[in-house]
Amino acid sequence: MTVVVVIEGVVVAVLALLVVGLLRSHAEILKRLHELGAGLDATPAQSQPMSAAGPRPGRDFNVMPQVPSPPDREAFGGSADLAGIGAGGSEAVTVRVNGVEHDTIVAFLSSGCITCQKFWDAFRKPRKLGLPAGTRLVVVTKGADAESPSEVAKLAPPGIPTLMSTEAFAAYDVPGSPYFVQVHGPTGRVKGEGTGPDWDQVSGLLSQATGDAELVASLAGSMVAKPDADAEREARIDRELFDAGVAPGDASLYTVDGAHEHDHDDHAGHDHG
Amino acid sequence: MKLQAHGIETDLPPGWEGRIALRKAPGATAAANDSTAARAAGTLGEVPNPVVHLANFALPEDRGDFGSGAVDLMTEADVMVVLFEYGPEAVGKALFKRKGIPTNLTPNMFSSSALQRTLPGQAGCQVFFTVEDRAFCCYTVLGRQSAANRVLPQANATLAATRISRR
Repeated sequence: MTVVVVIEGVVVAVLALLVVGLLRSHAEILKRLHELGAGLDATPAQSQPMSAAGPRPGRDFNVMPQVPSPPDREAFGGSADLAGIGAGGSEAVTVRVNGVEHDTIVAFLSSGCITCQKFWDAFRKPRKLGLPAGTRLVVVTKGADAESPSEVAKLAPPGIPTLMSTEAFAAYDVPGSPYFVQVHGPTGRVKGEGTGPDWDQVSGLLSQATGDAELVASLAGSMVAKPDADAEREARIDRELFDAGVAPGDASLYTVDGAHEHDHDDHAGHDHG
Repeated sequence: MKLQAHGIETDLPPGWEGRIALRKAPGATAAANDSTAARAAGTLGEVPNPVVHLANFALPEDRGDFGSGAVDLMTEADVMVVLFEYGPEAVGKALFKRKGIPTNLTPNMFSSSALQRTLPGQAGCQVFFTVEDRAFCCYTVLGRQSAANRVLPQANATLAATRISRR
């Protein structure tokens, strides 16, 4: 009898230990989930307010050590035509990015960074890059004040425009290299930007940002061609709007002039009758 | 957009891009890494002179001095201007007696027979001139001769915005 009681006591003690362990484990999981911002049945009032600036590197997430953190801004940066010296330092180069028919992927690289080496190597085989149709790849390094022209000349991939321009890094608000910006040629709008440890990841990132390139290409193949006059008229209107500072998505494109006047009249108490 | 090197400066109109480079000589150290060297190889011992390529389309990197490699890509609305400098021995020669950069190219100056490389529909024009004791050839190619009236004003404006200074 005594033996049975002892055995039951041991079993109860072991089970109690197990339950305590499970409770501690559960509490730990809940604590971690809470730290990550997740919560079951969290009402808006209970949840943490979302930062207006969105997630921030170093605070909300960490990037891989070999790539630069994204810039601390909400939207894509700006774009600009590129001007600098060619790889080797003896050539003056300008590359038009805005107001052209093709899109441009600007690859900001450095001759010194280890991660960039993968991109320099990948760019030596342009046919394997899988660039979307009508897209031009341009490589930019910092100028001769920060890079060795002879080193850049050794790395410059044949057939791909390579120029050295510290100003371009500033104009595109590039946080570091490697970094990539895809620009829509006709409007100069940045379609996507970011970085990654190799070309496959960057290519995937840009494809995501700009839509499914293959789908677009397949749809383009089945599209009925527009009459030249219509296409030219559309291109001219786009150009004139862009020159006037009206980019795609501009609020003025969705505003009816009459609506403003009507509101004004109402406020002024005019009689429309 | 400003482009400046080797005593040549230009201000490109919207949609244009350019390069000002020294003509690659054989044996240049960068030749192994520069695909243009294969097309633009000069003579042994040659003192390299500048070559300017200006175009209203995306210039490929693999180009010859007179635009081979680029002219193949030209469409109807495209125009390319090459300023090719000759050595000092050319200054004073009858071929280069014209003074100043040509800035008034007209359609009747263009012909398919003036092309370095004949391509269907294209037309070219060569004007030799001297400015600041430097001898040049201005070689202009039209993607389509029938578009001359439309694209030549751009080319003339680009040439008018180009300055060449004494060495």
